[in-house]
Amino acid sequence: MPIASNASIKGIIGVAFCFASTLCVCADFRTPDFQQDILPLLETYCFECHGDKKIKGGVNFVEMTTEAKAQLHYKDWENAIQALHAGEMPPDAAEQPKASEVDLLKRWYQEVLVEQVIAKPALFQSRRLSAGEYRHTLTSLLGFDPEVAIMEAEQTQSETSLVLKLLPDDPPGESGFQNDTHKQPLTSGLWDQYAYITDSALNQLQDRGSPIWQKTLQYPWKNPEEAIKHITPLFQSFQRRAYRRPVPLDDSEHLASTIARASNPVAALKKELRVILMSPPFLYRGLLMDVTRDKPVLVDDFELAERLSYFLWQDMPDERLFQLAEQGLLHRKTILEKQIQRMLKDIKSRRLSEGFTTQWLGLGAMDSFARKQLPLAVSLKTQPIEFVHYLIHENRPLLELIDSRITFTNPHLAKHYAEDRKQIASYRKARGIELENIAHTRIELRHTPHRGGILTMPGILAMNRGPILRGNWILERILGDHLPDPPANIGQVQPNSQGKHLSFRERFSLHRANPSCAFCHDKIDPLGFALQDYNDQGGYQPWAKLPGKGKDRLTRTPIDTSGKLPSGETFENLIQLKKLLITVKGDQIIHHLTEQLMSYALCRKLEIWDQPSVRRISQAMHEEQAGWADLISEIAMSLPFTQTIVTSVKPE
Amino acid sequence: MNWRINRRSFLRGAAGALLPLPYLNLMEPTAQAARPAEPPLRFLTLLKPNGVHPPSWNIEGGAESDFRMSPLMRPFAHHKEDLLILDNMGDFGFSSHSNSTRRFLSGHHQHTQGPSIDQLIADRIGGETPHRSLELTTEGLFPNQVGCSYISYDRQGAPIPRESDPQLIFDRLFRNPMSHPRKRQEMRSLLDRVNEDASALSRRAGYEDRQVLDQYLSVVRETEQRLEHIQVSSGPRAGIQGHKRPGRPSNLDEQVDAMLDIIALALWTDSTRCITYMLGNSNSRMIFDFLGVKEQHHYLSHFFRNFSRSNIDGLLKISLWHMEKFAYLLDRLKGYQDHHGSLLDHSIVLFGSGMGHSDNHTATRIPTILAGKGKGSIRTGRYLRFSENQQLGRLHLTLLEHFGINQTSYAGSTRPLPGLDGSPYEAYTERPFASWIRLEGDTLTVQGRLRLSDDLSEAKVFYVDVEGKKPIRVEVAFKDFHRFNLAYHCGTPVILQGLCSIREGVPLLHKITKLTSLFGKKPGSQNG
Repeated sequence: MPIASNASIKGIIGVAFCFASTLCVCADFRTPDFQQDILPLLETYCFECHGDKKIKGGVNFVEMTTEAKAQLHYKDWENAIQALHAGEMPPDAAEQPKASEVDLLKRWYQEVLVEQVIAKPALFQSRRLSAGEYRHTLTSLLGFDPEVAIMEAEQTQSETSLVLKLLPDDPPGESGFQNDTHKQPLTSGLWDQYAYITDSALNQLQDRGSPIWQKTLQYPWKNPEEAIKHITPLFQSFQRRAYRRPVPLDDSEHLASTIARASNPVAALKKELRVILMSPPFLYRGLLMDVTRDKPVLVDDFELAERLSYFLWQDMPDERLFQLAEQGLLHRKTILEKQIQRMLKDIKSRRLSEGFTTQWLGLGAMDSFARKQLPLAVSLKTQPIEFVHYLIHENRPLLELIDSRITFTNPHLAKHYAEDRKQIASYRKARGIELENIAHTRIELRHTPHRGGILTMPGILAMNRGPILRGNWILERILGDHLPDPPANIGQVQPNSQGKHLSFRERFSLHRANPSCAFCHDKIDPLGFALQDYNDQGGYQPWAKLPGKGKDRLTRTPIDTSGKLPSGETFENLIQLKKLLITVKGDQIIHHLTEQLMSYALCRKLEIWDQPSVRRISQAMHEEQAGWADLISEIAMSLPFTQTIVTSVKPE
Repeated sequence: MNWRINRRSFLRGAAGALLPLPYLNLMEPTAQAARPAEPPLRFLTLLKPNGVHPPSWNIEGGAESDFRMSPLMRPFAHHKEDLLILDNMGDFGFSSHSNSTRRFLSGHHQHTQGPSIDQLIADRIGGETPHRSLELTTEGLFPNQVGCSYISYDRQGAPIPRESDPQLIFDRLFRNPMSHPRKRQEMRSLLDRVNEDASALSRRAGYEDRQVLDQYLSVVRETEQRLEHIQVSSGPRAGIQGHKRPGRPSNLDEQVDAMLDIIALALWTDSTRCITYMLGNSNSRMIFDFLGVKEQHHYLSHFFRNFSRSNIDGLLKISLWHMEKFAYLLDRLKGYQDHHGSLLDHSIVLFGSGMGHSDNHTATRIPTILAGKGKGSIRTGRYLRFSENQQLGRLHLTLLEHFGINQTSYAGSTRPLPGLDGSPYEAYTERPFASWIRLEGDTLTVQGRLRLSDDLSEAKVFYVDVEGKKPIRVEVAFKDFHRFNLAYHCGTPVILQGLCSIREGVPLLHKITKLTSLFGKKPGSQNG
């Protein structure tokens, strides 16, 4: 999605304008019209591969019959314009557009799909709590996490949370994040699971003699009127927390009187609690928000509190947020900012680091390591999470993601850190324990600078074996450049023929000589081959074994890790590449990170009208060399996060 | 930093296909079994993890109906008349943990594409009960070798999810919310209330919210309809009154007892007739702190590799606990009257492991015990030591026959195992040897079978059995124990010479000067 360098494209387009105006004095500066100007060009140059007979790379221009439809596919347009700009599309073998035509397309894109887009909030959609959100909400509400009644053994996996055990995993939504549950309907199977969990939780509540239970049942028995007075505030508080907003007083009074007058108060209490925990406003987010319909408005204070707490904590708001919401103060910038800072300091913000990092970087791919050694696999997977958590927690500059002097390691991973491993406490496993999970310790990379940043963490390297997967991972996850799937008939890289000692890179360059491969591989390869000093297990091994002189001798040969980015910059090794990523690609990396984080915060896929906010934030962050907490804060105060439109009729 | 990585992501990650999760089906209506006129035959298995410590497990010498239970068998010695102890079961060679787990119920470690016998049996007899079968365990998944966590496999040889939470199983069996009258009533009133509330909410809602609420209301209506169509039971199922839902266990012992209680109750109430239960993964990493043992079971089970006196003591404590659990299960099964006998009389219980020696992983002399008379088809109270190694598949073929499943072969075995019903079989014959004692001054020489003390709390004490005389007690310093490798010679006839003292009128060998193995077995050539 290389809007990459929106700024740089803009600059180049500006230059193009100058040329255009000198070459063609009669240049027309009205905004190009989609039907009149753009569609004919698409027909001529693009339809053949992208719509008519084939739909290459999943891009279908034939579908985009109107400007509105083109807007829906704004991501495809970002890619298309960049490819056009780089001369990658249309491919060399096909008919090439004239310079004026290229210019027309770029202008139309820039004006219609970038500059004229007006930021507006998305339509409001309530959604079911994800399994994790439901679990944490229930835990906060009741004061305990309903557990499964089993003992745990080391090195085995069993689900101890009853909620997680019984609720199916949330598949990633359109946004790619699991908290995007919009397309996950309630089913009767799920209903049964909720009912069972609720029952279990209420039994455990009774057994534990929790406050709501005990206090409610301590009411003055003799006098129902007194009892109602006693129970009403208890229920009002419980309902407010369960529904994440206050309920009308008569609602709570009604519940209180039902219990106070019941012949079996315990059963009545249980029943009322069960109704609350199974009702839509508990299971769903945002059902009770009451704002002016059909126009952009600020979400109300309670919705804002909920958005904040589920974004930063995966949990319901705490008492402080409730209070501020009740006072109507939460939308005030200074107060909002202060709350965000407070919430990020809370231990619960780890759920943001874990949830976001895992899904954004695709760390789920490391789950297959679990077959080797569970504690090792856990160490590999938690290392990047720990690192990102540190970046957020200490508000480190955004681009320290790429290079940093700080990392986290534990004895399972210590071998990758040479001298620096001395900074972690020596570990001796207890007698009779074969392997165990060990927490990470923060270390400073004094002797192993080649390990700085996320790209060279052993787990990240090991989950992407080989230069192609690694290059593609960086493009997709860090730079946000999503490439189409490779064609099915790519074949294998040929082994060395007898007597030849070509390196993998040399043999690969023969393999990819086909010009149609170059479009993607020019992007993938320089990034991937720069990481060739790291082996499949993520170990640092800056040499290859190649047959040397004498019989059966292997010599260590340095590996060629140099490369050239499609934009022209060259580098000798990974250290230089990292510098380039930070300097030349910094804006692109921050743009992508902003998009991802915003998508996670909003629990939905971003739309074109979110893009102005994304661009504004990412540019400001880049210019200010802002930190991770700053970015989170900006997103939580942005228009898409704080505003909405509630429709009263079906939107078109 | 006290946190854990989200285990769920591991459980349900890329390895998902290999790590099936239990589908609990807590609310699915289940049929009520009518009390049959004749007692049904049940099949139950109990896996003992990590093989055994052979010197304490193996029975040496003795005859089919006149034998001495080994020290490890003492916890269930009072059930001797209900047991058929099989010896010389196994395969050639060594076995990984994962292979041995497969072997236990699938007959052979290479039988990976077909069903385990419990599943064949469940297919045959499971249709008549509310629950076809139960697959239970104690421990979580061991992802390094997934195979260690499963003994039950479906027809494609894929592992069947198992459940370890006694409360969930209890609810699934006995508190089915859909058929339980009180639960139905609760659910009905819940549905009424939420229906009312959601409808009221829907009238005020915006467009998108109405979509969500409609979806919610349609699920409520669907659940109401399901409730209407389920056959209602007349009350709690016969027999479970007085049985409380298990509480949250505070240690493994309580968890396993709770599960064993449920197993017996499930069989007795005819909720199911086929259950498999693993006392742990076959390479169990469990720590038995409630026994005062701090080391992981698997570490201790390598008693030779990780040799120390205290490790052996720890291992034996754990092994005895496994045996106590087996005894407890048999107690429970005997405690239930079933028609004109006990539940155990109408069951076949298979207890054992998939490997023999827990340190060197040999697959020979795999501990295998059948308990219960199988409605008269099994002649218990005997010890069968076969002349040669018998593949478990042969036993399985025979067990299938007992359940009316006649196959020509199972897991590569084509001949059923003889002898279970009292039919003739080829028994192991030991080379005869004489036993005697000679005392010259304070030097004692004794010839006889060396064995471990019956009391495993003094597992460093050995005895030499001498016919017609009291056994000679051997209690030596660690140096001698180690130098003469007493544990290794356990079960075999030896000539032992050493210094002797008399304690309480009984001769005691306290210093060994010479040990000769009578038949000259070389180390490593024999189990133990």
